[in-house]
Amino acid sequence: MTPAHLPIPPSLPQGAATMDGVVYPLTSLGGLQIRGSGTTRGAVTVRVLAENLEAVTSTLAGTPGLRLADMFAADDSPVTTLRLVWAHDLGYLVTETETETETGFDLEGGGYPPLSSIVPAAFVEECEIYEQFGIRPATGQALDRVMLPPHAAHNLPRLGHRSPQPPGGANAPHTVDGQAFEFPFGPVRQVGVESLYYGLVTSGEEVVDLYLLTWHKHRGVEWRLRGKTPREAAFLVERAEGLSAVAVGWAFSAAVEAALGIEPPPAAARTRAVALELERLYNHAAAMAALCQATGLAVGQAAAEIALERLLRVNAAAFGHRYLFGVVEPGGVSRAPDADALRRELPGACDELRRAAGALLSTNSFVDRLEACGILTGEQARRLGLVGPVARATGLPVDARRAGPYDEVPVTIVTAAAGDVLARFNVMIGEAAESVRLIDAFLDAGTRAGCTRLPVKGDGPGGTGGGSPPCTEKAGGGTGLGWAESPRGEALAWVALDEDGRIARARLRPGSVRNWRGFDDACRSRNVFTDIPIIEASFWLTVAGMAR
Amino acid sequence: MPFWFARGLRRGVVTTHYPARPDRSAALLPTPPAFRPRQLTRAAADRLVAVCPSGALSRPDDALIFDVGRCTACGRCAEAAPDAVTPSGEFELASTARSALVKKIPIYGETR
Repeated sequence: MTPAHLPIPPSLPQGAATMDGVVYPLTSLGGLQIRGSGTTRGAVTVRVLAENLEAVTSTLAGTPGLRLADMFAADDSPVTTLRLVWAHDLGYLVTETETETETGFDLEGGGYPPLSSIVPAAFVEECEIYEQFGIRPATGQALDRVMLPPHAAHNLPRLGHRSPQPPGGANAPHTVDGQAFEFPFGPVRQVGVESLYYGLVTSGEEVVDLYLLTWHKHRGVEWRLRGKTPREAAFLVERAEGLSAVAVGWAFSAAVEAALGIEPPPAAARTRAVALELERLYNHAAAMAALCQATGLAVGQAAAEIALERLLRVNAAAFGHRYLFGVVEPGGVSRAPDADALRRELPGACDELRRAAGALLSTNSFVDRLEACGILTGEQARRLGLVGPVARATGLPVDARRAGPYDEVPVTIVTAAAGDVLARFNVMIGEAAESVRLIDAFLDAGTRAGCTRLPVKGDGPGGTGGGSPPCTEKAGGGTGLGWAESPRGEALAWVALDEDGRIARARLRPGSVRNWRGFDDACRSRNVFTDIPIIEASFWLTVAGMAR
Repeated sequence: MPFWFARGLRRGVVTTHYPARPDRSAALLPTPPAFRPRQLTRAAADRLVAVCPSGALSRPDDALIFDVGRCTACGRCAEAAPDAVTPSGEFELASTARSALVKKIPIYGETR
């Protein structure tokens, strides 16, 4: 597969030669593979008629090895376009559907087929599209409020090119009766974790149902990105989900680079990979500490947090920022890692983490709480499109680290079979060791700061930094898809640039968006309500990434 | 639990002596900018205002207004005008009054 950071010539879409088997059935349904102008660079693009959307989605949902990775709307043409991003080991496929066609099939007027009944993974995106664009599935099925507050005024900024009706009545109804009662939890919660409201329906101990209200942290990041240059936008992008700043920043930068047809220097790509693996290490340490906190094991929590603090200091020593902000930027990276500091400090910090993990695994009272808790099956993970350690703990080898610098240093994907919290914990421990190996290999191969110049009018070091004058070229526009494997799973970004190279529409899909979809299923699987914080810690998701 | 007790004794104290003594890891932290008014011109100030992504800088008249409360210490200003701006090294920024976080930086660069 072509590396994530490499541009895809418009005439030769990424993976075209190997994705033919996936694309061919779509052409028999009237799908048209787009090449050249109009293609999403970084993926194979197929345009489908709106009236065939249901049939195409059914076909793709039944294709082995293919999963729905994202779905979003964009008003990048005179009419709104729905795009579905499908992930395959061979690459990505984008199906795009205009909402008004020559045949008069109008998705905005009549709605579109309820795709979540075919691919359950699409439900969150159906909710988002309704909130942002006012377009909903034709059946009028109940939707959840996932991004905009329910009290949002009619004029709250949204992405749609026309002002939608206030999305009232969007919350799916829930029923609490019989012996069950609702246990409201949040949005203000313990120890300063993010704002999140659980509606926890319980019969006393057992979790009967659980629903989430995730909109408390909505900041309208995608809306705020419009009109910015890619470099200006990068500042906001890495704050969309701060704990995945490198991964989301890399996905966004790769999308911009694909759209502009440029590539970062190889040493800069390796630098990104070093930062990404450091991000994974500190997140896995933080998840371990959160698991101890959730199980009430304060001594274990302290041990994990010592390792976490040491890893954050390694980040600061290597890249000048504890949370690795400002490292990745479109075109390359702004800083090189301090390789000496990394080689000196990282082994000790990782030993600390390994010893803490070993001590926890030898503590029966801790392991007992994790075993058979929050179970997800591989089939559930596949159906819901789950990613990251959550999916890998069910046995699915889903990992976006297959390209770019990871072509030079292949990743050993760590999986487990049980699908419970303990399996997730073990996957994280295995991945931490693998990250250390990868960092060593990338440092050996050579890392450096550096950026390929972006052909974006008004951007460049002189536009947002110092040094050389800003670029005066015109980019010519284009769209691109980028991805990276964040600590919580595949992060995706899709970017449309206008003729000046400014952002017309940017779609960010952090891993959290996918995996919150599986959280309620994990909670309902024969758990008591005191298991919920343990399951949440093992998912290690962010609300910011969901509500962005 | 005896295991964890023994482990804790072996591990010893790991907390630092901050704030009684400086924590050496603080030197690695990004910090808000410090300005050199004599190196600052109105044109340079306007450039700084333009590059600040969080709106921490403004120039309503002949002075640069710096709102520390909006600064993320991203370093873009120091990169844009290295003669006039350097990292302050200051990270103890808490204040009991919001207004104390807003600083007026005189611009002397053009009067020399």
